[in-house]
Amino acid sequence: MDLLSNLAMGFGVASSLANLAFCLIGVLLGTLIGVLPGIGATATIAMLLPITFQLEPVSSLIMLAGIYYGAQYGGSTTAILINMPGESSSAVTAIDGYQMARQGRAGTALAVAALGSFFAGSVATFLVAIFAPPLTAIALQFGAAEYFSLMVMGLVMSVALAHGSVLKALAMVVLGLLLGMVGTDVYTGAPRFTMGMTQFADGLNFVAVAVGVFGIAEILRNLEDEHDRQVMTKNITRLFPSREEFRQMIGPVLRGTGVGSVLGILPGGGAILAAFASYTVEKKLSKHPEEFGKGALAGVAGPESANNAGAQTSFIPLLTLGIPANPVMALMIGAMIIQGIVPGPNVVSEQPQLFWGIIASMWIGNLMLVVLNLPLIGLWVKLLTVPYFVLFPIIMAMCSIGVYSVNSNPYDLFAVAFFGLLGYVMSKLRCEPAPLLLGFVLGPLLEENLRRAMILSRGDPTTFVTRPISAGLLVLSLAILVLVFLPQIRKRRDEVFTESDA
Amino acid sequence: MSTKPKDGTDIAAGLLFMAIAAFFGWQGLGLEMGTSTRMGPGYFPMVLSGLLFLLGAVILVRAFGRPDDEPFGRVAWRGIAFILPAPIFFGLTVRGLGFVPALFITTLIAAQASLRMRPLPALILAVVVTILSTLIFSYGLGLPFRRFGPWLPL
Amino acid sequence: MITRRILLGTALALGLAGTAAAAFPDRSITLVIPFAAGGSTDVVGRIVAERMSKELGQQVVVQNVGGAGGSLGAQQVAKADPDGYTILMGTVATHALNPLILKQKPYDPVADFAPVSLLVLVPNVLAVHPDVPAQTVQELIDLAKKEPLAYASSGNGTPLHLSGELFKAMAGVQIDHIPYKGSGPALTDVLGNQVPIIFDNLPSASGHISSGKLRALGVTTAERAPSFPDVPAIAETLPGYETYSWNALFAPAGTPSDAIEALAAAAQATMADPAVAERMAEFSATIVASTPEELAQHVKAEMAKWEPVVQDANVSMD
Repeated sequence: MDLLSNLAMGFGVASSLANLAFCLIGVLLGTLIGVLPGIGATATIAMLLPITFQLEPVSSLIMLAGIYYGAQYGGSTTAILINMPGESSSAVTAIDGYQMARQGRAGTALAVAALGSFFAGSVATFLVAIFAPPLTAIALQFGAAEYFSLMVMGLVMSVALAHGSVLKALAMVVLGLLLGMVGTDVYTGAPRFTMGMTQFADGLNFVAVAVGVFGIAEILRNLEDEHDRQVMTKNITRLFPSREEFRQMIGPVLRGTGVGSVLGILPGGGAILAAFASYTVEKKLSKHPEEFGKGALAGVAGPESANNAGAQTSFIPLLTLGIPANPVMALMIGAMIIQGIVPGPNVVSEQPQLFWGIIASMWIGNLMLVVLNLPLIGLWVKLLTVPYFVLFPIIMAMCSIGVYSVNSNPYDLFAVAFFGLLGYVMSKLRCEPAPLLLGFVLGPLLEENLRRAMILSRGDPTTFVTRPISAGLLVLSLAILVLVFLPQIRKRRDEVFTESDA
Repeated sequence: MSTKPKDGTDIAAGLLFMAIAAFFGWQGLGLEMGTSTRMGPGYFPMVLSGLLFLLGAVILVRAFGRPDDEPFGRVAWRGIAFILPAPIFFGLTVRGLGFVPALFITTLIAAQASLRMRPLPALILAVVVTILSTLIFSYGLGLPFRRFGPWLPL
Repeated sequence: MITRRILLGTALALGLAGTAAAAFPDRSITLVIPFAAGGSTDVVGRIVAERMSKELGQQVVVQNVGGAGGSLGAQQVAKADPDGYTILMGTVATHALNPLILKQKPYDPVADFAPVSLLVLVPNVLAVHPDVPAQTVQELIDLAKKEPLAYASSGNGTPLHLSGELFKAMAGVQIDHIPYKGSGPALTDVLGNQVPIIFDNLPSASGHISSGKLRALGVTTAERAPSFPDVPAIAETLPGYETYSWNALFAPAGTPSDAIEALAAAAQATMADPAVAERMAEFSATIVASTPEELAQHVKAEMAKWEPVVQDANVSMD
């Protein structure tokens, strides 16, 4: 049993007193900084990166990984408590998590998120350990055509994110896609929609857009009727889920783990789809799809598990290929090189201590997170009893710092204000921000891969259906489309009929 | 005409989407379209602008003949006036004034958005936020911010 | 070993002498890295910053100002106070290619900067997926004449893209350029044989070359790289072909000469440190540690070399 002895060696490395300490520090720092509004995992790592460079290679990577999932966890906490996602994945959590918090179920939402994440993280860690090499081979089958079809599937799913009008959700997706075009064109270097500002040459900052359309818009909504509206219900019933709620979360957590693990392996944007995909699945399977968007437990449990599973399995391309799946992974590669480790397929065989040590520490880190965060839930929920007029200036200060710290670009802060206004106007017009955000994230990937696929196939559009994986994904998209739209069309027809009868 | 029901919110939404689509379409005019083999930078945005315009038009048309089920409600003018300038001010001054004064004034501006916030508590809040953030971000994490910038006579 | 230690000692003494005489620096120095954290320039920058802090007796703080292919960070330093407390980790992109490619020049690479020291040269490499039949540069050229090929690079207007364009021009072949957003995604597609050829930085491709997942056909430097002595230089097939990436320190124009000297002395001492040298060797980078005057010459030479390539390849950006 190679695997067992390898894992044993990994746990040996990871459970040395020093490495346990670094893992704990990483998880703790990650949670604390990540929980600040508007600061997600990428911003947290960018801030904390220098701290880790002085350490031993294994310790520094263990700490970085700890910061990463700590921050991701912290980001979900702010998404639930104040509707302020710092990462595309927590944008999904914000949809139902924040509604639960408004109903006084913040504790339940946080606990569900913590437990779901822990379960998903544990499963995904073992997947990484067992299947890393074969899974990598599959991931390499994904070329431009496959990624294009995958993104199409993501966009089709995004319609399910909306709980209002499908038409408006579609318009928001397209608007998001257009916003994603802002910046330098990858193929020709032509600047697009930058209004002549070089500061937007690399596109709009995701954190700025997300904080604007979700967080700032929500603050403005809350300031509308200050005198007669309570932002949060004060009578918080329970901190922990009831037995019934536990039963409800089992299905979503299992499915979320599966969806997240599969998508996380794909370098280049698979993991961002994980939370969105899980939300779609849960809404589709639920007996009460109308609850989604109004505080559905499954809408938190599924995406949170998917998100964490995806975060773990996205280490697979990093560890086996040395190729970063997202900006956070790119930072970890940088850390490896600084430590004198050449990232690449040789890491597993040449640095087994490092490889297995990191894998073991992932599980330990997840355990620490859940142990750390369950007691903290009480504290976070107490935070909601702070009067809102004290809370929001603090939120504004924190997100100003957070957004600025990523790139030291003042224009990112101007974008926060602009998207705050846009998000507020859109919410007044009953257009939801989640589809816009997904479009924004997927837009560049969609275009880049479409154009690349067309160049590689020399202008032959059948490349999307003659390549088996791509064709499969497109068929799946079509199936989802039918599943999503059929009930809608039927319902609308009923509506039309009742209206004309009346 | 006026007796016919119409959804004012959706009319506004449809018009807004159409306006945004027109803006992107107009901005994208100067970009090369290319061919379908080698798509230019203007190809994809133009398709999207057209699609958004179409969706906006459909939303607009469907808004007529249907009652508005949720009124527009109040607008947070005071919030818009103070919340939105806060990050802009921080962005404009963090290099010149430095981290400490910029953050202090940013918090103070944001605090004005609420009617319930009195001047003295706002001042206290801004001081506390500034001190804690400086300790955490500047000293604790060592972020490369200048605490006091060149605009100040120090 | 002894000579090394003496060298180090002298270098240290020189560095210290420089600081003592000029009373520079008396507070922390900001090293602006014009790219996101984690990339190869960032790695070089952080290793150098750590060691230079010891030389200068003041903290050298790294600040990543990424965006617009390095232009934003370079622009920020060009406009900073010329006191030596804000310096830039410049590259072939910020000080040769961008100024040639951009239609609107955000800064002048010669007039707006005071050169400090050319730190390292980093080779690029031409590599193919192992299934590609060509075993040598010549065979690849022959193959390209027979069938359509494509190569991946880390982006439009990057040194790697232009290395590819120079190769095409000198070999007289047509190969489609497929740009990616950074080295990582480009490498992934070549590893999966979605695209057969890649021009990449040697440091980022080296792991894949030594494991056999990529076959290196040639390095872009005039000589073979010490870390891969078996890989020929492209110049062995195409005489005169030479490109490489480089990293150098720049201060804003008008910085006092004592500050420049102190910084240059510290940079040279840093690069003479065996521990730093070892890191750079693992990174396949060749240490130069030049004087300010040599760097000034280098920038001019690079601009002269790239100008015709940029024009021939017809790369330009607004």
